[in-house]
Amino acid sequence: MTKAYEGPLTTKFIGEPSEIYDDAGDFWVVNFPRSITHHHTYGLLTPFFKGLTQGKLLATKCTNPECTENSTWLPPRADCPDCYARTEWVEVPAEGTIYAYTMLDYAGIGIEMETPYWQIDVQIEGVDTIFKGWLKEGKPVTGMPVRAEFNTANPTHTILDICWVPK
Amino acid sequence: MIKFGKGNLRVPQWSRRVFMVAGGCTPFRKYFPEYKLEELVMMGYKMMLEDNDLKLSPKQVKDCIQYAAYGEFADHFQDQLLCEAKIHDYLGLDPLWNTGIKTGGATGGAAMLNGCMAVASGYADCVLVSGWERMDEVDTRTGNFYISTAACKDFETRMGRIYSSYYAPMANRFAEAYNLSEVTRAKVAVKNRGYAMSNPNAQQPGHHTVEEVLESRMSAYPLRFLECCAMTAGSASALLCNEEMAYKLSDHPVELFMAGGTHTLRVADRRHMDIPLLPNEEPGMYDELLKESGRWPGFESFLAARFAAYLAYRMAGIHDPLEELDLVELHDAFTISDIQTYGDIGLRPYGQEPDYIESGDAYYEGKCPSNLSGGLLGTMHAVGATGIWQACEVFWQIQDRYDYIHGDKKWWDRAEKEKPADWKSLQVKDPKQGLWISHAGVGSHVTCGILRKAW
Ligand SMILES: [Zn+2]
Repeated sequence: MTKAYEGPLTTKFIGEPSEIYDDAGDFWVVNFPRSITHHHTYGLLTPFFKGLTQGKLLATKCTNPECTENSTWLPPRADCPDCYARTEWVEVPAEGTIYAYTMLDYAGIGIEMETPYWQIDVQIEGVDTIFKGWLKEGKPVTGMPVRAEFNTANPTHTILDICWVPK
Repeated sequence: MIKFGKGNLRVPQWSRRVFMVAGGCTPFRKYFPEYKLEELVMMGYKMMLEDNDLKLSPKQVKDCIQYAAYGEFADHFQDQLLCEAKIHDYLGLDPLWNTGIKTGGATGGAAMLNGCMAVASGYADCVLVSGWERMDEVDTRTGNFYISTAACKDFETRMGRIYSSYYAPMANRFAEAYNLSEVTRAKVAVKNRGYAMSNPNAQQPGHHTVEEVLESRMSAYPLRFLECCAMTAGSASALLCNEEMAYKLSDHPVELFMAGGTHTLRVADRRHMDIPLLPNEEPGMYDELLKESGRWPGFESFLAARFAAYLAYRMAGIHDPLEELDLVELHDAFTISDIQTYGDIGLRPYGQEPDYIESGDAYYEGKCPSNLSGGLLGTMHAVGATGIWQACEVFWQIQDRYDYIHGDKKWWDRAEKEKPADWKSLQVKDPKQGLWISHAGVGSHVTCGILRKAW
């Protein structure tokens, strides 16, 4: 069932809409501060995010006998792009090897992690795609084995609930 | 594995020939508060009408336009949905039909392709293509966040909130797979920012050294600040038409061939595919390379760029790009994306991309110079305008008008800049045709355009 948002309805504007940011020239530049909340659905991929909170790494696999590929997807997809069949959930090993990496130093605003940190792309046995994540400790090298750790105690309900450590 | 169906590789065939007859742009700046967005667009549009030796007056040209294709990457930046309607009205083109186009970094290229389709199909004989971005309403880090939402917000955006961090893993993979040194990467930044010194519209020109590039602040390892393009405000416009209009409007029209390709938004979702071969490539030539890397395009290459070039070369009848192209403008949003593209469009075979820079071919007076405009690194990345402005730069080169557009005092005055005492003409000698690449996301959308001197 669709649920309408029933939070408080406020008409109060936060900030100073008339504040002038720049009037050094013949023009005015005016500030418009605001804060915004989105209600974002995980839709049919919800089991993946639930899985993280239970310490499980869930992918989807196309099992349609008519499909030429029967790929296993992580990030998961509810529908197979090759044959359009509905995929099935499979638990995949919470371990793999580093395929690519970077150290993120300068991040965009709103980053929920502390920088700098190592971002890694992990190749997992039996999975046809590569999975992006972050390395909590150690220094990445291409081909290095890693295993996943899950944030089951204090989940953020985001992709940040999984991270990797050297195996 | 991605497999093509029988119909998927058809080379586009336009019903009518398509020509470019004029281009225009604004100066490009990090902060451009003197003008509202529509005023900025008007500035580039008027340059297009007034400064291209057109045979009709600006008002007469305006009276010929039947359709407009508008490029804008992100409504977030302007905080205004459907800017197209405001711009179109401001340019006085109501009630002619217009379409807004958004394909990330390739938005400008996609707007050009859309304009081509309108001419080729007969929908219009004379088309305005215009694009813009105003990235100066927010601070840089907020802008970085906006751009990063062009990555997958469920599985990627939170990992960086900045686009360099989605290119950086590719840079590391590429370096290991194809033996690319950071010095070669830095040379791209030095070259393009150096060429921007001759461009009055350039946002970040500079005579840098390789050492300066390598010592600049790290954004995402191994990509440093001087290897990344910046936030820009500005606009660009181009006028496209059919053959009859081209005769009517210009003594020096340039014929246009163009195609596009797309690929996954998440680079990590790329699956193996057989490499579509360019006209200058032989079956089997990549067998060894594939044995080593295991998958193509992997993190090293851009399938969308290869696919766009595959189609565009065949549309234009190009057999050997390095020999037949006189110059190229590539989408150097990051040094690494520039280098990756050399292989995709056949300036070098895959695996030998660094040699395009190291051999000198990519430099002015080299075999096929790239980014003489200053590129995105040196001149601008006002995203929706970028692919249009790149086309303009190739177009002016082919018309032999580089010196006027980049050297005339009028443009330096307009940009409120002093023309450097060591200003250097980068006009290619007697160019016949050039190519430009407009590239989005981590290769999610790419257009490949070829401009050829018509008569
Ligand atoms: Zn399937």
